[in-house]
Amino acid sequence: MARVRTTKNPLVVAAIVLTALAAGSAARGGWSWYEAGHDDSAGYGQTRDDALAAGEQAVQNLNTLDHQKLDQGLDSWEDSTTGDLHQQLVDGRSGFEKQIQEAKTVSTAKVLSGAVTELDDRTGKASVMVALRITVTAPRGKPAVKESRMLGRLTRTSEGWKLSALGQAPVGNTAG
Amino acid sequence: MVSTEEKTEAGVEEPKSPETAGDEPDEAGESGSTRRLRRTAVVLLVVALVVAGAGFFVRAQQVRDTPATDNLALSDTEATTRVVGDVSNALGKVFSYGPQDTAGTKESAKQLLGGKALRQYAALFGQVEKQSRDQKLTLTTHVVHAGVSRLSGTGAHLLVFLDQVYERRGKPATTAAAQLSVTAELRDGHWRIVDIASR
Repeated sequence: MARVRTTKNPLVVAAIVLTALAAGSAARGGWSWYEAGHDDSAGYGQTRDDALAAGEQAVQNLNTLDHQKLDQGLDSWEDSTTGDLHQQLVDGRSGFEKQIQEAKTVSTAKVLSGAVTELDDRTGKASVMVALRITVTAPRGKPAVKESRMLGRLTRTSEGWKLSALGQAPVGNTAG
Repeated sequence: MVSTEEKTEAGVEEPKSPETAGDEPDEAGESGSTRRLRRTAVVLLVVALVVAGAGFFVRAQQVRDTPATDNLALSDTEATTRVVGDVSNALGKVFSYGPQDTAGTKESAKQLLGGKALRQYAALFGQVEKQSRDQKLTLTTHVVHAGVSRLSGTGAHLLVFLDQVYERRGKPATTAAAQLSVTAELRDGHWRIVDIASR
């Protein structure tokens, strides 16, 4: 037993302490990583940004239509939507086609700015507001440019966020 | 006596020392290479643990420090509500005036605007005052929708939809829509608008 104690030289002690410290820091680092991965606020922020990106793209899609690429345009309308709005677009498709073929218009949209105003991470619902510039070009005359402001409802689907409702933000409701 | 001395000397290493020490006597005498091998193993273990720990920390930071997590819009509900309230209130005040009270509007603008927004506003306001007086024009601005696109502890970007009601004496009121991108800064506990861009 006496020899046992003599082997306890400072180097061994230092090595043990060092190992313990290293193990401790590794464990803390691991925990920190685990926590970061399970931090709700991080996930929420990412969801908000995903919803906004999908919402802006969907609003742009629904304001874009070229009479020469009707099928492509209307497919993109349907791909960008879900629920009631999707159903409306499917039901109204042949009517739109006829209308646009007659008018021969080309509509393009540019999103100027957007923001998420509500987000329920759990139920997968969000509201977005989008300011955009829409340019409609008819066969004759100058392109008509108008600024538009829209409010959309988004629903999370297995294919990501899609618009379930979309409309102009009404003007004049609050007057008086 | 010897054993108690040892215990008090290094209480922390106590649990481990019997193990380490237990193998020591046999091999210690036998070969120095075994000892060297073990020493190398310990060094490697320490290095591995330190590298792992550092690696985990770095990963944790990467997971946390994304643009999505830096942006507190909506995730900090209280701050989001505050900035929407302050900015909406400010826009309502600085873009509302009547022929009689342009001075009051000008005063509140000094409180509620800053930076570039205040300079632009000051540059325009002479015209606004004249127009309001000459045409007996009253403008009332309401914020109808406001959303925060970026929010940090001190700065924010918002998208605001406004309705502006123009009333000229003897004529029916007209309402116009306006969309603004607003940059705000938190100063002395209040959000001040420092830049406004029409959308």
